[in-house]
Amino acid sequence: MNVMLDLSGKIPLKERLRARRAHIEATGTYIERCTLKETDPIGFEVFYTKLSQSINNARDLARQVAASPEMREMGESVLGLFTPEGDAICLSPGLMVHVRTMSRAIKWMIDNDYETDVGINPGDIFFNNDPYIGGGHAPDQQIIIPLFHDDRLIGWAGGMSHVSEVGAVEPGGMGISMKTRFHEGLYLPCMKVGEGDLFKRDYEILVDRSVRASVWWLLDSRAKLAGAKLIRDAVRGLVAEYGLDHYLRIGEEYIEDTRRATIDKMRRVLYPGRYRDVGWRGIDEPDLRQLLHAPIQTTISPEGRILVDADGLSSAGPHPVQATVPLFEGILFSSLIQHVFYDTRYNEGTALVLEHRVPEGSACNPPDIYHATALWGPAFAGGIACNQSISRAYYANGYREEVHSCNAQVNAIIAGGIDLFNRKFAGWNMEMCASGSYATAFMDGLDTALAEFNAEGDSGDAEIWETALPLIYLGRTIRVDGGGFGRFRGGAGLYSVYMTPDVPKLELGSFGGAPIFPAPGLMGGYPAPMPTVYVVRNTDLKERIEKRLPLPHHEGDPASPDVVTQAKGDVEVVRGGNYIARNIQPYSLYVQPGGDGSGFGDVLCREPEKVKRDLDNGVTSRHAAESVYGVVLSKDGVVDLAATEKRREEIRARRLARGIPADQYRKKVRQKFLSGDLPAVSKTLFRDTLSNHGRFRDEFLEFWELPSDFAIA
Amino acid sequence: MSLLEEKELSDLLDGTLDLERVREIQRAPKDLDRRERLLAIEQKRLGWKDRIVLALQESLFIVQTDAGKTVRCRCGHHFGDYRRNWKESALVHERDPQDGELYASANAPTKDWMILREFYCPTCATLLDTENVPQGYPFIFNFLPYFQDEKP
Repeated sequence: MNVMLDLSGKIPLKERLRARRAHIEATGTYIERCTLKETDPIGFEVFYTKLSQSINNARDLARQVAASPEMREMGESVLGLFTPEGDAICLSPGLMVHVRTMSRAIKWMIDNDYETDVGINPGDIFFNNDPYIGGGHAPDQQIIIPLFHDDRLIGWAGGMSHVSEVGAVEPGGMGISMKTRFHEGLYLPCMKVGEGDLFKRDYEILVDRSVRASVWWLLDSRAKLAGAKLIRDAVRGLVAEYGLDHYLRIGEEYIEDTRRATIDKMRRVLYPGRYRDVGWRGIDEPDLRQLLHAPIQTTISPEGRILVDADGLSSAGPHPVQATVPLFEGILFSSLIQHVFYDTRYNEGTALVLEHRVPEGSACNPPDIYHATALWGPAFAGGIACNQSISRAYYANGYREEVHSCNAQVNAIIAGGIDLFNRKFAGWNMEMCASGSYATAFMDGLDTALAEFNAEGDSGDAEIWETALPLIYLGRTIRVDGGGFGRFRGGAGLYSVYMTPDVPKLELGSFGGAPIFPAPGLMGGYPAPMPTVYVVRNTDLKERIEKRLPLPHHEGDPASPDVVTQAKGDVEVVRGGNYIARNIQPYSLYVQPGGDGSGFGDVLCREPEKVKRDLDNGVTSRHAAESVYGVVLSKDGVVDLAATEKRREEIRARRLARGIPADQYRKKVRQKFLSGDLPAVSKTLFRDTLSNHGRFRDEFLEFWELPSDFAIA
Repeated sequence: MSLLEEKELSDLLDGTLDLERVREIQRAPKDLDRRERLLAIEQKRLGWKDRIVLALQESLFIVQTDAGKTVRCRCGHHFGDYRRNWKESALVHERDPQDGELYASANAPTKDWMILREFYCPTCATLLDTENVPQGYPFIFNFLPYFQDEKP
């Protein structure tokens, strides 16, 4: 009997899941033959089109039901159909991070005997937001329902969306002060929250009394349920039309077919080799100043297999800048689906191709579930690094149209309180879904375009955000010099200037990063600038408004921004952009950058006319035009080509004069290790790295010619 | 998609190909002889004769010489065996991000957190790579390609 397919309908799910895992382990395949595709390839595609259409419709419906701007406007959701063992067959567009997180939740329920101990019945509704089971952090919320044919479980449908208020210690579910799981709000690990297609009243009461404002959580739950039910209806129709046997078999074939197509695509387009890139995140709080690195080695075999090895990754700790393995894996899927597998199906077959190794105890594989994961941290950095490596693999094969530098670290406002209509509100502003995109090998990055984790890239209307979180926009413009410099510059993100409202209660802060370059450049391009939040208190804004005097709306000169020069007040500069939410008085100014992409190639290869265009459009500063790009403009703004070439020659000469041979540089830095003359942040990082034995440690010591027992003083 | 003309490939290399055409190319199945065709275009442009076997990154190629496969800059500068990180033969400048040349002070890290390591070609001074790393971080060996005819 085929235990995995179980046409009898009598084999326990746990046994089927065990058999499936054993089969994959033994053969490397999901199933061995795709008989339906072989006998009727057209019918195979027609069925899939019906399936994917239904799932896309389900997502559209869910968006209409949802309450939150992120699910309605920003596309922060994904819906999908799964096999009885929980493997994804077909997913909607949306959050590609979650290709496997709902699968993991379903498998977790099976592994934990839900079939016998909790009960899985028609009409049941399960909820999960536990990232150690499947997800990214508490705001990643899943609604999953079982699909039955008569009394046989034939699959699952589910929806996942980001809900930005979860009752955490800071509003919005994401904040740098969350040091353990117990700061992160309400977790419901694979909990049955409904029966008979209806949510339980006590579930809704629990949510309503556990979070600052429950409307997004509760209505977005209904939205996901509505979508999942639409998928259920579609499956019923397909089973009636094609028969149950066909439905069950073809789902398995889609997974295997995807696995094969994925390997084939990689083999054809990515040059084989060993690639290494590094992503960075960190924490800069009074009690913890630490860099976290994600050194990623990506090996692409000539056969088209991919192994992502994170040996050397920073250790987990008492902070939220870390992630679970499901999230680390999800970030890799998100990158690879958008940049390599955009023309194949994506489902469990995609996941079967990707092998990853994440050290136990690291910041992407914490030692226990009590470690906070709100800000993902080095998982995002790992995705960045893998992406950079994929671009190198495309480049080597000549596919320059696929090569790009690094996407933005996204940064956002978090806020909660009571608004001017006495309504409770809480959440975060997701306008950074329109961050600056990466530069490519053939064009500049797009300004205010996308966020890597959300390819639909929509900032949302300012007016909608003002009703959701009652901050008053004074301006929303493009950040000056936001994109990393390069032959092709990175896209610049949003630069929003807010005035704080006079409301009964307001907690306001931001999540961003450590004071570092968060997005590295590629092949000579420069990193995107560090995000910086400005908070200006005790301003003269009220008086200015009364007297109808100008207000700061734009960034102005990045070295001396308008919020500092065009209003009076006490200025606080928040480097890196992490700012713990707190009360901020009315008529204060608050500046939030969204996120910027990095640059590609040598700045001196940039066409001078492009520099002038950016200068004219206010995207590049005069300082950058002259000092970084070496472009000389006449008084009336015309590029002086001869003077530009002369200045660029001067810059090249300066490079040769100040650059030192690499072996001399190494000797110089080695001395710093021996004398202990390194900054505290470096020492903390290396002390942690060198405490973990492995490839990274060995190569580190070899590079600096340090003894095998070397330790940081 | 029609086959890519040599002129189109050349424009793609230069970043001057019409963006609508780039989009068509992105949407079409990949042409499997692209690597060889691009290398042929690059080879014609160079002022030296060593045969390119791979475009490693902007301005850097792996070329076949009597001594084996080595990394060579567009300008002709030799960086040595491809199995050794070319950065170890480059000029290095450790930039303090607060030096005022590039970023506004509020938008750049202090060197206690991160420095910008710049790698220049010792002959033509092309900026070949930047690394944003903390002080003391080893050079990153970005790419060791696989060649069927030899072990890395």
